[in-house]
Parts: sequence; structure tokens; C-alpha cells
Amino acid sequence: MKFFDLLETAPSDLLKWFVNLLAGYGVPAWLLAVISAVIIIGTVIGVFLGLFALCSVMERKILARVQNRYGPNRVGPFGLFQPVADGIKMITKEDLVPRSADKIVHFLAPVVMMIPALMVLAILPYGRGMVPAELDAGILYFFAVGAGTEVAVFMAGWGSNNKYSVMGAMRAIAQMVSYELPLIISAVVVAMIAGSLSPAAIVEAQGTFAFGFIPGWYVLTPWGFVACILFYIAALAESNRSPFDLPEGESELVAGHLTEYSGFKYATFFMAEYVGMFAICGLLVTLFLGGWQAPLPFLTIVPSWCWFFGKVAFVAFTMIWVRATLPRLRIDHLMTFAWKFMLPMSFAAFLAAAAWHYAGRGPLAWALSAVIVGVPYFILGNHFTAKFAVSNRRYQFSE
Amino acid sequence: MNDLLQKFNALPWDAIGQWLVLLPAGVMLLAAAGAVALRNLIHAALCLTLSFIALGIVFIALGAEFVGFVQLLVYVGAVAMLIVFAILLTRPSDLAGAMSPFAGFGPVGGILTGAALLIALLAFIFSSPAAKTPMPSMPVAPVAQIGNLLMLDFVVPLQAVGVLLTAALIGAAVLAMEDKKP
Repeated sequence: MKFFDLLETAPSDLLKWFVNLLAGYGVPAWLLAVISAVIIIGTVIGVFLGLFALCSVMERKILARVQNRYGPNRVGPFGLFQPVADGIKMITKEDLVPRSADKIVHFLAPVVMMIPALMVLAILPYGRGMVPAELDAGILYFFAVGAGTEVAVFMAGWGSNNKYSVMGAMRAIAQMVSYELPLIISAVVVAMIAGSLSPAAIVEAQGTFAFGFIPGWYVLTPWGFVACILFYIAALAESNRSPFDLPEGESELVAGHLTEYSGFKYATFFMAEYVGMFAICGLLVTLFLGGWQAPLPFLTIVPSWCWFFGKVAFVAFTMIWVRATLPRLRIDHLMTFAWKFMLPMSFAAFLAAAAWHYAGRGPLAWALSAVIVGVPYFILGNHFTAKFAVSNRRYQFSE
Repeated sequence: MNDLLQKFNALPWDAIGQWLVLLPAGVMLLAAAGAVALRNLIHAALCLTLSFIALGIVFIALGAEFVGFVQLLVYVGAVAMLIVFAILLTRPSDLAGAMSPFAGFGPVGGILTGAALLIALLAFIFSSPAAKTPMPSMPVAPVAQIGNLLMLDFVVPLQAVGVLLTAALIGAAVLAMEDKKP
């Protein structure tokens, strides 16, 4: 017990100890405040870059396992030092800039890509009382800052002066704009029920246990379940991950907006994509999976930040799993899916949440909101699968 | 930790903030000038985007967090992308004729147009009742308060704007639809 309590407050205790140490040397208060802010920012960025390095090797290992092979296992124990080797390779590689490229835009694109990916990390509640920037409108901040990614993708595509880059960038932007709607609406649903746009307050609101053991996470309500899945799918599309990775579809577009990037600039894009993926996983965990709350009452002794990162790791694992399992979508299917299925379903989740709230959040509310999300699901599902009715294949030529 | 935070908050932030605001405001003006002056259309669009971002930062620095975030979300996420798409989807030859309807007037025409617009805007701003209400001492409004105002007091204008935007969306879809031959 004592040990876990120590771990729970360890991050803030360490910071306090260090600041007090500096205060002992007579450092003025304003400088101490600046130093502690820099330490917090540095820690968050360091943790996520570490996670990125770990994820880049784990992703390849998991993909390899799914495909029945070993994956990287040469560098260090179990191939764990692979990211170091990759990093050295990326940094020492020649940085090629096409002669006809727009030099400034081409150079700035990876920088602009990295900034929003790191900035959105500021509002995630990593543990009990561990929010780097407590904003009243934190969720709005996340999406507002995240909008910068689209500018970066466009800059990369256009600055390269390559037809594949421009086409890839246009696909990526069209995809991101389309999937941003269901993403934001399913986040709004949660804000509506929690009555706040502040991530910390949303996590607090999920800290109850029904019957003493069922956590009050929003994913365990009918509207929350639907909104969570919509958010997850939209998050996959927003971070350009498989099966929505067709902006980089190598069989048709070489590598999309990344075609003309090499060396460290390519690595920056890669890094920004992974950090962005963790950030959106973190937001999903915050909104639907109870943030740093423990899943069972007796597990609350485990430090809250362990739960947060554990859940983020789980969601990231499912994203890798999806990548290993599903084939890539076609561009028109992708758009149809976003506008004709995801968007109506997110409106249904919105209505269901309103019904859930006004029906008193009890058993009646459960039934009502389940009907409100269930009926559109079956109608839309039947509509889209009707023309793909499965029947016995008729062989026309080989009989 | 808390006493440190108090000391940090006790710093003369208002005085510092008044000067810090000048930084994004300057970036905004420079970028806006670039958006007007640059020959390359894409560079102009990117400059305009930078000026949108800087304006959002100015709002945030002045304490209007919500407006600042919405500015970023709507203008950077949607409007800037729309402009860029419009530029990419039209060929340069389409633009050659339409580039400058006032080309014959030279810089004088531009300055006159700008001055007329500025005077009209200033006249409207100073004659509106909003200019006569005293400046509130604390411009910070919590999101919940803004939401209540929008959904209770100003719900009719909000719905009217919604109908207008929906009509515009349907109109755009109709324009873009391919004519099916009978």
C-alpha cells in the first residue's frame, strides 16, 4: 500500500523536491516557476518520444507475429534497440530536396507537422491532478490545435512540387476534413453528458462504480459505446493509419505527401504521426475509457498514471492489430463511409445521449438510447450491405 | 507546489501580457501584408493562414480563450483549407483574366478601395451600441456561460444561421452535381 501511494505522487514529489532544492540556493520564484514549467513540458515530450521509439519497434514485432514471422530481432535484446539503429540511419541519411521544390515550404512542412502533435499533449490528464495545462475548454483546444496538421500535410504535398505528393496531400486533407466531423461530434456527445469541456472534469465524472464494481466509463452506455467506436474509426482516419492510409497508398501514389522527403525530415513526419496517434488515443481514453480511473474499485491502489498509460497502450495495440488485419479502403468507399454512415451514426449517438440524459440516466434511459442508436445502425447497415448480399459464387467460365 | 503557483500567478501578468500581445499582433499584420503582396498564390494563402493563427493567439492572449480556439478551428481547419483547395482545383489559366479586376487603376485604386472599406467599417463600429457599453474589467467568460447565452438568449439567430448554412451547403451540392441526361 505504502509503495503504491509513493508511486502515485512520485512525479509531483520529484518535481517538488527539485524545485525546493533550487529554492535553497536562492533562485528567485519566477525563475523557479519557469524552470518547473520547462521540466513538465520536457517530461511530457520525453515520455511521448520514448513511447514513439518503443511503439515503432513493437508495431513491427506485432505485425510480424500476426503475419507468422519474427520481426526485428537482431539489434539488442529481442531487437529492442532497433529504434536506435533506425534513428542513426535517419539522421545520417542524405537530405534530398528536389530542385524544383519550394524550398521554404518544403523545409517548414515537417516543423509545422510536429508542433500541433506536441501541443495537443498539454491538455491530457495523465493522472490524478496531473494535467500540464488545465483549460476550461480543453477538448476544444485539442481540435483547434490539431487543425494545424492539415496545413502541414498540404505544405508537404505542395512544397515538394511532385504530382504524387499533391494528390496524396489532397486525399489526406479531404479524408481528414471528412472524418473530423464524426470525430468532433462524438467528442461533443461526451462533453454534453459530462457538462464540461475540461478533460479533467470529464475523467472525474466517470469515476463512479455502479453496483460497486461496474465502472461508470462512458463506453459502457449505449450512446457512449457507439460514440467510442465512431471516435476510434475517425481517429484511425485522422492519424492516416491503416485501413485509412491511402494518402500514402504506395501502390498508387508512391508515398503520397511524403514522397520527396528523406532523412531527418521524413523521420520528423513519422514521429509526428506517431505522437499524434498517441495523443488521439489519450483523448479517446479520457473521453470514453475513464482516463486515469481504475477499472475495479480494489485496483484504485495502482497509481492513476499507470492506468492512463496502460489504457493508451491497449488502444494503440488495437490500432496496430487493425493495421495487420484489414485491407486498405478505396477512396470513394472511404468518403461514402464518412458521410453516409459515420455522420448519421454520430447524430444518432448525439440524440441518444440527449434522450439518456432527459430520461433520468436509469434503466428506461438505457432502453431508450439503445433503441435510438440501434435502429439507425440496422437501417444504414442493411442499406449499405444489401447490394453485397452473400450468395454462392457462380462460376461463369471455368465450368 | 501551490505556493509556487500563487507566486507565479502574482507576477504582473497584465502588464506583461499587454506587451506580449504585440508579438502575435505584429506577426498577424506582417502575414496579412504578405497575403496581399505575394505574387505566388499558394504563398499568399499560407500567409493568410499564418495571419489567422496569429489572430487566434491574440484572442487567447487577451483572455478570450473560447473565441481564440474557435478562430483556430474554423479559420485554420476549414477556411484556409477551402482557399487552398480552391486554388489547387482552378488552373492558373482560369485565373489570368480574373486575377485583378482593378488592374487598370494601379495602386491608387487599391488604396482608395481599402480606405473606403476602412472608413465604412470604422463608421459602423463606432455607431453601433456595442461601442458605447463600457469595457468589462474581466473579459474572461467561461465556456458554460457562452453556451447558455447561445442556446437560450440567442437561439433564434443561431438557428437562422444554421438554416442559412444548410441552404448554402445544399446549393453547393446541387451546383456540383452532374447533370444526368434524360
